[in-house]
Amino acid sequence: MVFVLGIDIGSAQSKGIALGGQGSLGSFECPSGGDFKLTAEKLRGELLSQSGKTENDVSRTVATGYGSKLVFFADEIKPDIVCLAKGVSSLHPTVRTVIDVGDLYTKVLRTDGNGSVHNFLLSGKCAGGSGRILQVIARVLRVRVEEMGDLSLTSQKRVDFNTGCAVFAETEAISRLSQEVKKEDLLAGLHRALAAQINSLAERIGVEPDVAMTGGGARDIGLVRAFKEIRRHDILVPTDPHMIAALGAAIMALEGIEQ
Amino acid sequence: MAEEQKEAKPKKRMTATKAAASIGPMVKEFITGTLQAKAEGKQKVAYTFIVCHHEEIFRALDVMPVWTENFAGICGAKRDAERFLQRAESLGLSRSLCTYALCGIGFDQWREELGGMPPDAPWGGQVRPDFMISSGQILCDPRSKWYQASQQFMPDVPIYNIDLPYPLFQRNQDHRDVWSYYHQYIVKQLRGLVAFIEEQTKKKMDYDRLRELVNLSDRTWNLIDETYKLRRAVPCPMGTGDAMNTMVPINFMMATQKAYDFFVDLKKELEEKIVRGEGEVENEKYRLMWGGGLPAWYALSDFNYFNSKGASFPVETTYRMVAPLHDMDLPETKDPIEHLAWRWLGYWTFWFDKARKRPGSEPDVERLINWIEEYKIDGVVMHEAFSCRTWHVGLIWQLHQLAKIYKPIPVHVIGKDGKKEKVFKELPSLILESDIIDITSYSEVDTRNKIDAFVGALESIRANRAA
Repeated sequence: MVFVLGIDIGSAQSKGIALGGQGSLGSFECPSGGDFKLTAEKLRGELLSQSGKTENDVSRTVATGYGSKLVFFADEIKPDIVCLAKGVSSLHPTVRTVIDVGDLYTKVLRTDGNGSVHNFLLSGKCAGGSGRILQVIARVLRVRVEEMGDLSLTSQKRVDFNTGCAVFAETEAISRLSQEVKKEDLLAGLHRALAAQINSLAERIGVEPDVAMTGGGARDIGLVRAFKEIRRHDILVPTDPHMIAALGAAIMALEGIEQ
Repeated sequence: MAEEQKEAKPKKRMTATKAAASIGPMVKEFITGTLQAKAEGKQKVAYTFIVCHHEEIFRALDVMPVWTENFAGICGAKRDAERFLQRAESLGLSRSLCTYALCGIGFDQWREELGGMPPDAPWGGQVRPDFMISSGQILCDPRSKWYQASQQFMPDVPIYNIDLPYPLFQRNQDHRDVWSYYHQYIVKQLRGLVAFIEEQTKKKMDYDRLRELVNLSDRTWNLIDETYKLRRAVPCPMGTGDAMNTMVPINFMMATQKAYDFFVDLKKELEEKIVRGEGEVENEKYRLMWGGGLPAWYALSDFNYFNSKGASFPVETTYRMVAPLHDMDLPETKDPIEHLAWRWLGYWTFWFDKARKRPGSEPDVERLINWIEEYKIDGVVMHEAFSCRTWHVGLIWQLHQLAKIYKPIPVHVIGKDGKKEKVFKELPSLILESDIIDITSYSEVDTRNKIDAFVGALESIRANRAA
């Protein structure tokens, strides 16, 4: 019986999906921590446990993400761009543009609905246009990252955030707090600034509808709303948007067996 | 003063050709040559910039050019630019300015402060010039401002600026309608340069010698064109990684017999490799074009990384600063100065006619389209160096223009037999981001992740076509 694993070792979070012939048998996520090898082991152990399988039952494993080269039990390593396209297309074949907001990069890719990547662009080395900035500000505001989206939606008076740089954003957030700006207004401003930066990246490669947002950043409803406002069209967010690359990796593992 | 630490030595890039491997010692030799010339005092040395079509004038008057962009590139390639950049910053210059200029200014300030070379200066250092020839070419303002800044530390060293414009592309106007005005102006500029150098060297220009040197350069131009066209072969015998070495004779050694001989040898080497079916990459899977941007000099081994994925680079727009003269249709003249001015105009307007014939095209895009077809290109890689506007403005726009032709859907074209055929012309692109010499802007892990993803996209497209 076919049983495959898709493992995505991201710079902040690691995700795994187990697929069988009939669909998903398990999924798991955990912080990547400082030891990617150990994290990969932990993911595999959890996925096997959820599926009631052993290591010997695994037909194929595909790894992706920042730490993929350290998944020593993987049969194949695939770039996350390719896995994202595969994962999104399997759920939403009408999507032609994927915006993936990860911890380290924001990625924009164009796909054809069959899981093929046609072009892509990644944000640069700077953390300004990636999800990392959300974590930086969460720490300053002393709110949990998961709460930021809902809090941002309650804003009545969004502040204009003057910078897209993660370091300057932290300084600016502190100075705004000293002016008694409300957290929700500050967050709404931050989401707007980040969304504008992501949009500028997307425009460089060209945006074709339908557009999906994935990655950990897509779990932040404040960011998604800000991006929708800038784009002025709907943005599709898959269920569990942060798991899409792992899903794509698992699908590619299945396809590898079929070939 | 800023911390002055050297960075870790970079890994050496593997070259595909013997000719490219011989470049390092050659550059070292001419850096040493400038130091020796200065010490002996027999020959004047002058700071100057590449792509000014004035090398023949320098050499005819026995002036030794010191290519300041080259020295900054060497500092970058040796991962030893940071301490000079930091010096320039401590003088109040922003890191977002041209980092070649910052490196040069930082070096000059340090050398002048010490009254000798900074400690462990790369390859002995950049010699103090007798004079400086700057050039305000259309966009690159550092070329006219750099030496003005350096002159603060060397007030006794004179500067002469040559202005070398060319007509901008206009779809509805033949550039030849206006280029004689440009020609007259450039000739005056070059004659002014001759007069300035004559004054500095106390020598008179020997126009017969100048004519011979111009003729030597012209022959070298055509030879380079013939040599580089050999890279159309499949598998490609020499890639862009090597071309970032062989740019040295093109840009720093023109009007010398050594440059001509170098390309005679390289041409022979490539012809032999083609006969043996020997490519830059053992199993060539993808043919990529370096479609724009100066390279990250400290990270040339990234080309080896591309190679390890089966990707070869048969062509690049960067530093191929020559075009076949026999295709230029330049007005005849016996005056070498007038010829230099015509050649300048011929080079910069080389793609104008072709671009005018294709709706929506522009010369830079036209060059890309032509080479994509001629060299059978599967994808385009560009490098956006944050500190250089001149070479990098418009790269994204060029990719957008290409995307109008190379679409991700099959298109029907009329084949040679008159029948309709379905072809796939999609062309993915990769934009790398860092800088020419500022290594703080670069991440090897990130860059290689991007390359992996790009190769994944190329694979995916190929699999899709096959399906």
